[in-house]
Amino acid sequence: MDEAPSNGAGDLRVWHHPVLGELQEARPVQITVDGQPLVAREGEVIAAALLAHGILVCRAMPRGREPRGVFCALGRCSDCLITVDGEPNVRACLTPVREGQVIWTQAGLGRWEGPAG
Amino acid sequence: MKTTGIVVIGAGPAGIAAALAAAEVGTSVTVIDEHPAVGGQLRWRIAPLRGLDEALDGLPACRAAETLHERLAASGVSVLAGAVAWGLFEDGSLAVAAPDGGFRLQAEKIVVATGSVDLVLPFAGWTLPGVLTARAAQIMLHLHRVLPGRRVAVIGEGLDAAELASDLEMAGAEVVLRAADPAQVVASGEGRVERVSANGERREADAVVIALGRQPDPELALQAQVEFGYSVRLGCHLPLRSELLETSRPGLYVAGEAAGAVDLAESFAEGRLAGLAAAGATPERIATAQEALARARSPERSAEVDRMRPGSLGEARPETGTGAPWTSWAEAAAGGGQDDTLARVALCRCEQVTVGEVRQAIEEGALTINDIKRRTRAGMGLCQGIFCTRAMALLLHASRGIPLSEIAPMTERPPTRPIPLASLVEIEE
Ligand SMILES: Cc1cc2nc3c(=O)[nH]c(=O)nc-3n(C[C@H](O)[C@H](O)[C@H](O)COP(=O)(O)OP(=O)(O)OC[C@H]3O[C@@H](n4cnc5c(N)ncnc54)[C@H](O)[C@@H]3O)c2cc1C
Ligand code: FES
Repeated sequence: MDEAPSNGAGDLRVWHHPVLGELQEARPVQITVDGQPLVAREGEVIAAALLAHGILVCRAMPRGREPRGVFCALGRCSDCLITVDGEPNVRACLTPVREGQVIWTQAGLGRWEGPAG
Repeated sequence: MKTTGIVVIGAGPAGIAAALAAAEVGTSVTVIDEHPAVGGQLRWRIAPLRGLDEALDGLPACRAAETLHERLAASGVSVLAGAVAWGLFEDGSLAVAAPDGGFRLQAEKIVVATGSVDLVLPFAGWTLPGVLTARAAQIMLHLHRVLPGRRVAVIGEGLDAAELASDLEMAGAEVVLRAADPAQVVASGEGRVERVSANGERREADAVVIALGRQPDPELALQAQVEFGYSVRLGCHLPLRSELLETSRPGLYVAGEAAGAVDLAESFAEGRLAGLAAAGATPERIATAQEALARARSPERSAEVDRMRPGSLGEARPETGTGAPWTSWAEAAAGGGQDDTLARVALCRCEQVTVGEVRQAIEEGALTINDIKRRTRAGMGLCQGIFCTRAMALLLHASRGIPLSEIAPMTERPPTRPIPLASLVEIEE
């Protein structure tokens, strides 16, 4: 591989890949993250859209408001909990983007609705 | 309650092989996977496959996953994707949370093929955004086509770490630091990773990938109270199995990395044998699958498997495991060294319990993982202990001298995942 992929400033997408080929066109999906508009790719999970735009922090923990971001990407660690369209504790790594979604990164305040914990 | 023939939990290589084999015999088979697509770890790896069959060898792992999917589709196996099996109960019933609700399944036979999770150990700064597991990095790079960072440090010295370093470079990231021992790594930055240092080297970096290897995830089988033993090679407890991969609970099989298989070829061969055995295939067919499995295993691995039969109590030797990096991590975590940075680091990410707090609980008398859990809440968070139990065991071992083999795993209770309340409610009905 002699040519480095052209990830422009603020763009962390892997456009070219020696094994996987070119990144296919995807329909743009408009979402809002902490009040800012952002363009995601149809079919991707929220965590990918955030990371592609350099947004790493998903939540802050109760103790010390310690910031957390994607750790496992498999729905196991819950470090990526965010609020989506008013619903708290949604896992950004598993939830697909949808047109018009309103996302707030979460400051450790969301209520956990499940039986665990 | 739905009743069905054979249920396979996990659609990775082992689960797929089990399902295909059972379907060959003519049994009704359902395979459940919590992810939307089948293939397990193959889905996000791009390394070329070796040692499976002619049609698959040489394909990038993710393409092989697609081929395996086609085989499943052609075989009549019903695939339930996006569904988590979150409880395996005393009566043998299985609780499932699917996208359209929860239900219970009563299966004639169950094959647990739940694979492995990434092995992680705490280090300074490991909770900062930008620190990811090997799988998370591969998922971002290859499934979502996003770089986790441009300048990345990779922790680990085995094959997984080598694969990750190559994956990152292929996608256009720069690997700025490699470190073998997590205890030596310090990641720092304002609200995210900005710098990483290890062994006197210091680099600007925006991501750190933990690629220390994989650890079996046999949670569901342990929930069903099967007999388990200790694997010296992996430094953890595993379900004991008969030659046909059946646990001490009749009709419950475990195959693949969930049971300690070391690689793809072994996982696949185990899956096939478990599937045939569960479906009651002819002795000839089973014998052929056993021979194939024997070929897929190294002599050392075969010897370990032979020692870990039900009724054998497994092995009990006072060892930490396979040496570095665990030994040095355990010593550093137990303290006494000059530089005690680890004391302030979270051992349990979910409940934010530090290494120092767990150490203190041990000093105050905690002798088991359940003791530590009760005293500190470590391991009681949403990850259900998968990312901290190993560290707790190592710390107990290093500070009390308790052999790892005698540190029983945490008591496993359903649910294995945080699941929506609706799934529980429907089950009660
Ligand atoms: C970085 C890396 C490098 C590797 N390098 C090599 C190599 O060089 N050579 C080699 O042979 N192998 C290698 N492997 C390992 C190989 O990929 C595994 O051996 C193989 O995938 C194991 O198959 P499995 O079916 O046992 O588990 P997995 O592939 O882990 O599949 C388990 C499946 O079970 C599902 N599951 C788990 N729990 C539940 C539940 N409760 N409910 C529903 N579904 C569940 C999971 O979603 C997953 O799909 C590597 C792996 C990694 C990550
Ligand atoms: S990153 Fe671990 S649950 Fe989403």
